[in-house]
Amino acid sequence: MNEYLYEKDLRPLKYHILTGPRQDWTAREMALRLGVRIQSVRSHLIERLDMSDLENMPARFEAGVAAMNGEDPVADALGRDLFVVSIGMFTPEEMEAAYARTRALVDNGMPLDEAIVEGKAALKEVLAP
Amino acid sequence: MKKTVDVAIPIGPVHPCWKEPVRIKCETKGEQVLSVEVELGYMKKGIERIMRGRPWQEVMFLAERVCGICSVVHNMVFIETMEAISEIEPTERAAFLRVIVNELDRMQSHLIANFSYCYTIEHETLAMYLLNEREHVMDMIERITGNRVNTAYMIPGGVRYDLRPEDAESLRETLALLEKNLDRYMRIFENGPMIALRSRDIGILTKEDALMAHAVGPTARASGIATDLRTTHPTYRKLDFEPVVRTEGDNYARIMVRFEELFRSIGLIRRALAMMPEGPVRGGGICKGGEIRYSGEAPRGELTYFVKADRYGRVEDIAIQTPSIMNIDACTHHMLKGVLSVADVTATFISSDPCIACNER
Amino acid sequence: MTGMLQKMKNAVRSRSIHVTYVDTGSCNGCDIEVLACLSPRYDLEQYGIYVHNNPREADVLLVLGCCTPQWEDKLKGLWEKIPEPKVAIAIGNCPLSGCVFNREGSYVNPPASKHIPIAASVPGCPPRPTEIIRAILSLAPTVFKDYEEKRE
Repeated sequence: MNEYLYEKDLRPLKYHILTGPRQDWTAREMALRLGVRIQSVRSHLIERLDMSDLENMPARFEAGVAAMNGEDPVADALGRDLFVVSIGMFTPEEMEAAYARTRALVDNGMPLDEAIVEGKAALKEVLAP
Repeated sequence: MKKTVDVAIPIGPVHPCWKEPVRIKCETKGEQVLSVEVELGYMKKGIERIMRGRPWQEVMFLAERVCGICSVVHNMVFIETMEAISEIEPTERAAFLRVIVNELDRMQSHLIANFSYCYTIEHETLAMYLLNEREHVMDMIERITGNRVNTAYMIPGGVRYDLRPEDAESLRETLALLEKNLDRYMRIFENGPMIALRSRDIGILTKEDALMAHAVGPTARASGIATDLRTTHPTYRKLDFEPVVRTEGDNYARIMVRFEELFRSIGLIRRALAMMPEGPVRGGGICKGGEIRYSGEAPRGELTYFVKADRYGRVEDIAIQTPSIMNIDACTHHMLKGVLSVADVTATFISSDPCIACNER
Repeated sequence: MTGMLQKMKNAVRSRSIHVTYVDTGSCNGCDIEVLACLSPRYDLEQYGIYVHNNPREADVLLVLGCCTPQWEDKLKGLWEKIPEPKVAIAIGNCPLSGCVFNREGSYVNPPASKHIPIAASVPGCPPRPTEIIRAILSLAPTVFKDYEEKRE
């Protein structure tokens, strides 16, 4: 991390936001969805999002879940649009890599559930290397 | 957040145009804004943490201190949440009185938002006119509820004070005065060539971006999304309410939506005064336990309370989703992107009527 | 013995006050009451008070709100930027006691007098605009009246 003259370390303040009730519920649901521990989700969110994004994360999450149409089960299970467009948690490249891997496994005849576990493992690599 | 350029222009936390402290860091290319990072924490008081474990009688006063500008609607939505949990119905006269006070509060909130915008684009004459009109509205709020800000007017089952006939008469007179003056000020804003130069086609929020960031209130209605929770509120439905929608999505549209809503509010108050039956204003009732999600339309948009109460009416868990959370996000991450000049950043930011106290609680 | 010229200067000095306000985490209620002072009805400027919001040109600092964590260091820095003579007025209950926010579990750190010297306070939640104007008007002359003589 760069050293600044005037800028403060915002991590404790961001943590205050994330431990607010609604943000906490949402972060827990996201951890459940991705199958990782809440701490790594929190630290990842603190690193990638700014404070306004963190405050608005629950509303964006709701909007993103509501926008899932069930056309592509792999995309919905990984939250391709949810975690990239709605909440900028992963970069498009990271998500695309995980998505492509899962899609390839499904096309090769692997059951959907197992393939998604593999895809989530790729995302987990990004969250908690 | 990842930095894309070397130089970021910080604006705030203390800025002459902003009422409240917030710091936004604009990453710019020349004068064009590429991306914006928001630094909050200047107003973080932890109200939701204080509210937990307190009886509703205490939470009620904390709730209206979430935001001083729209304190009436916080009071109203929290009390209606408790009523929804405990199945209390307000008396009919009280329901109309709530609408009257809520619309007066919306008017003063919109007036101060438009004042801030005019002040930011340095149209100080119009700004001062609007601020003076706001004082008439504040007088009416004080006359009905007994205080200018933080009125604690609504209680489960009704309201605290009845509207006396002489108050109703002076309310009608004030509305006539406001309608006359505001019509003139709206025309000044609508036709001002200098205002148009600073407002039209600046800070555009497209409908897609507004939907993604879940923008609400006048910010969303200026982008063509017809969302207004007043259309589903039982008392407002009796009053035959239609939301104001514009499609431009720029600064001008947002301010004009607020101007037009001022006239809708005047109409709503007039109809409520005419339809209001005689009767008691306090219905009584005992708050019970339960868990609910309840939304109401604040001046800035959709305000949601998530309340879990135990059987004595004590609040066990509470979360508040204020409209400014969504609007500030929509403004900073979508509207401000692509603003062609740093000078327009403050005006665009103010045009979305940000309320940092709401945002951080 | 104060000369005639000095007396005139003092009188003028105490009637031209620049005000800046800083919100350290209030509910906005006091903010809009300070803003309402600007309106033509209360008209701060007829008393020679000019709301400037630039600490480097200010004489009077209005402190609102209950001192949230971000202001721990910044409030003091802002106070030091104001040139002498200067005075701070606490507006509302928040900078005095923390009002309703000073409860277990909150992040605030009142009173404001912990961070900067407060000369006067206007209690109320929120105080009326007239009370705010009166506090500035009654405090300013006592501070700026004989400042130049005291300095010598």
